[in-house]
Amino acid sequence: MNMLFGSPVLHALILGVVIISALLGVTSYFIWVERKFAGRMQSRIGPEHVGWKGLLQPIADAFKLLIKEDITPKSADRAMFNLAPLLAVTVALLSLAVLPLASGLVIADLDVGVLFFLAAGALTVVPTWMAGWGSNNKYALIGGMRAIAQSVAYGVPLVLAALVPVILSGSMNLSHIVAAQAGGHWFAFWPIGPGFAAGILFVLATLAEGNRIPFDIPEAESELVSGISTEYTGMKFGMFYLGEYVHSLVGAALFVTLFLGGYDGPGPDVLVLQLAWFLLKTAVVSMLLLWVRWTYVRLRSDQLMTLCWKYLLPSGLVLVVASALWVWWKQQGGLA
Amino acid sequence: MSLWKPMFDAARTTIRNLGRKPITAMHPFEPRVRAPRYRQSFALLHEANGDEACIGCKKCEKICPSEVITVGTAAKRESPATGKKRGWADDFTLDLQACIVCELCVQVCPVDAIVMVRVPNAPGFEREDLFLTMKRLYENEALPHAPAIGSSMIASHNPAPAAAEAPKEPAA
Amino acid sequence: MSTHAPAHPVETSSAPAARVPTPVIGPRANPYLDIESYEAEGDLMVLNMGPQHPSTHGVLRLKLWLDGEVVVKAVPYLGYLHRGVEKLLEKLSYVQSTPIVDKNDYVASMTNELALVMAFEKLEGCEVPRRARYLRTICAEMQRVASHLLWLGTFALDMGGALGGGTTAFMYCLRERERILDLFEELTGARFHYHMMQIGGVRHDLPAGWDAHMKQVAADILARIPEYESMLSENPIFRARTRGVGRIDALLAQELGLSGPNLRACGIDHDLRKSQPYAAYDEIEVRSAIAYEGDVYARYVVRVAEMRESLRIATALIDGVPSGPIMGRKPIETVNAVKPPAGEAYVAIDSPRGELGSWVVSDGSPKPYRCKLRPPSYHALAALPYLLPGTTIPDVVVILGSLDPIMGEADR
Repeated sequence: MNMLFGSPVLHALILGVVIISALLGVTSYFIWVERKFAGRMQSRIGPEHVGWKGLLQPIADAFKLLIKEDITPKSADRAMFNLAPLLAVTVALLSLAVLPLASGLVIADLDVGVLFFLAAGALTVVPTWMAGWGSNNKYALIGGMRAIAQSVAYGVPLVLAALVPVILSGSMNLSHIVAAQAGGHWFAFWPIGPGFAAGILFVLATLAEGNRIPFDIPEAESELVSGISTEYTGMKFGMFYLGEYVHSLVGAALFVTLFLGGYDGPGPDVLVLQLAWFLLKTAVVSMLLLWVRWTYVRLRSDQLMTLCWKYLLPSGLVLVVASALWVWWKQQGGLA
Repeated sequence: MSLWKPMFDAARTTIRNLGRKPITAMHPFEPRVRAPRYRQSFALLHEANGDEACIGCKKCEKICPSEVITVGTAAKRESPATGKKRGWADDFTLDLQACIVCELCVQVCPVDAIVMVRVPNAPGFEREDLFLTMKRLYENEALPHAPAIGSSMIASHNPAPAAAEAPKEPAA
Repeated sequence: MSTHAPAHPVETSSAPAARVPTPVIGPRANPYLDIESYEAEGDLMVLNMGPQHPSTHGVLRLKLWLDGEVVVKAVPYLGYLHRGVEKLLEKLSYVQSTPIVDKNDYVASMTNELALVMAFEKLEGCEVPRRARYLRTICAEMQRVASHLLWLGTFALDMGGALGGGTTAFMYCLRERERILDLFEELTGARFHYHMMQIGGVRHDLPAGWDAHMKQVAADILARIPEYESMLSENPIFRARTRGVGRIDALLAQELGLSGPNLRACGIDHDLRKSQPYAAYDEIEVRSAIAYEGDVYARYVVRVAEMRESLRIATALIDGVPSGPIMGRKPIETVNAVKPPAGEAYVAIDSPRGELGSWVVSDGSPKPYRCKLRPPSYHALAALPYLLPGTTIPDVVVILGSLDPIMGEADR
């Protein structure tokens, strides 16, 4: 269904509203899943009493955040302070526009889809910085500075890692990238080597862009109280929190699209089945990211930068060259 | 590989704990099992013959490090049960908010009148809920007592116990 | 550091070893750096890691002058938890003072009581029976394990954050600590502030079945320690955060009066359990863990090794607890029961944080004339102005955590 009602604008609007609402609902329950999962890993149960097995906990949390007092510090930069949380959620949702959930089920089938989501990923630093500066708080300022350094630094391996599927499939359109992986030839596993390594690089860079442990120095709670979100109360804080989880889910979905074949999976090419495969793969990848989050301690800020510039960037360059060489070799006839 | 193996080890540890039963105790839905010697709140006791045990000697008031106990000594009068003259207390208050649960008052009581109970006071909304009056202290007598009481504690602290008494018994 | 020393902790024999022969003086920060003259050169930001902070281990105020993220000068401010304990002890009698000092080092309560009552016993000259000494030692060692477990959990929490891997390690450590607290609840009736020690002995005797329970708990904890190590010791992220960070050279440690694991991690084998044995330590071999680098990782390794050693000591002692009385003097039945002759006494024990001492001056009355408590955390915090300049903010948190300060005892 490439065009709903025959017009790309209407198609984007309706599908966008549906998918974004679905995503926000899923994110709230992803928070529930995370809390239960983390609880079980720590020999305790997560939320249990609000609703059956704690299923109403996200709703209770959202309600609690809504009824809290909304404080804006007197000397804060009001425009930046109030705009930052809104932008945090918006920018995190932007990448959703180019994700193909099933064949044809994409909000905006851009020919430069990869470029679009990389640009959106780069934008995530803006609300973080706005929060850091606008709070007029030294802890938030340090958090904001660290966020800029980290986002700018890890943007480069992100781009390089995302380039590998582009080279391997020959197109920046995400639907074409997924189509190139059809039949089980997922880029993470075929060709052996560059795809897998690029996948790992992509995961690390996405974790860093999304400020997840082990890269969560902008909001390092044990050092910076709450980092950039120190001065935020109520639903504004909730927006930062939600934005972080949305970014994590969308990052996992992008990883699935680029490296794990998107909606590709055994079975007939039915829309519902494709959607199911996509969601299943995203769920598995998200759980893996959660597992990483709840197991490791965080890196120091300069070690994080060292990791990026000295290890991830050269690896990314090597991988791009390697994948380009592989494609050239294939074109020259390869093994045949 | 030496970089990745410890990362996998850590991940394996957390996943292994995923399989273990959580140690959360679901109280107040399940009763929490406390040790036999657990002590939390207080009770004043009656003697076997029905008299109030407290003679108003104020030893507990003097020894309390936080000064939470106030004893009002009444005039000596005859006991209705034995007919002998003895001391009484006409008021006894214990401020549970400031109590540091040191059990010294129990240790020094010469007549085993005060004892700690194994059930904590239910949390209340007002300060008065945590301020034990004489009436409430006597009501607490019905709650399960902690085993320690003045005479048994002093007996267990005897530096030269009688030959028959082996100290490995569950003394207080 | 001396190059011939091995890079991992060794456990020495019970005889006190020779001191590290050539203490190397590392580059020292000037804690009295005249910050005004420095400020004129560039712009410094003054950050107050204030008394309320998720990871200052209590109420510690650290005033940091930062150049970007690098600390130029650090000044710790204490006193936010000062409760006037020493003055209070002058007002209370000897009998009443034991439950008060419980609250100093609130993580390892029994060690506070032990130091104080040992000083009172020295003043009075009373003998502690053998059974009481064994019970004191077993309690002190299990208390050391509980304290180090809490330290390990909060240390990982400082590094990994409240939502992340640090919390996982924290939960595991506290899960084990709960078992020790249950053990103490069986023994004394309380979970945190036990009031177990009394002048002349101990107040509670072993209940039936406690020794089997204690051995079970010790075996279980010993089996779980490798799990923590798998998450931390070899983990490259943890090692990157802790190796080479916060290095204290041996001479500085001795000058500042550091003791306990902080000192033993610098290569100096100073353990009060061996050099001035108290309680039942003269009847058992104590092996102290030594490391030579003096950095945060060394302190971590020393404390984990100490946990193992304490479990071994407690398990070895529990089977051989002699029968006998648990008090060496007349039972305490009144508030003025203890009236030591005039004099003074200083007794120091090896608490989980270092040398915990109490100096008591008596004037013959039932109340002490002066009680001075020497907390090890206070002297450990004195190392901060030397250690912090040149490090970044994350390192500040890690170094502070590795020194294991408890503000309750530092401020009293």
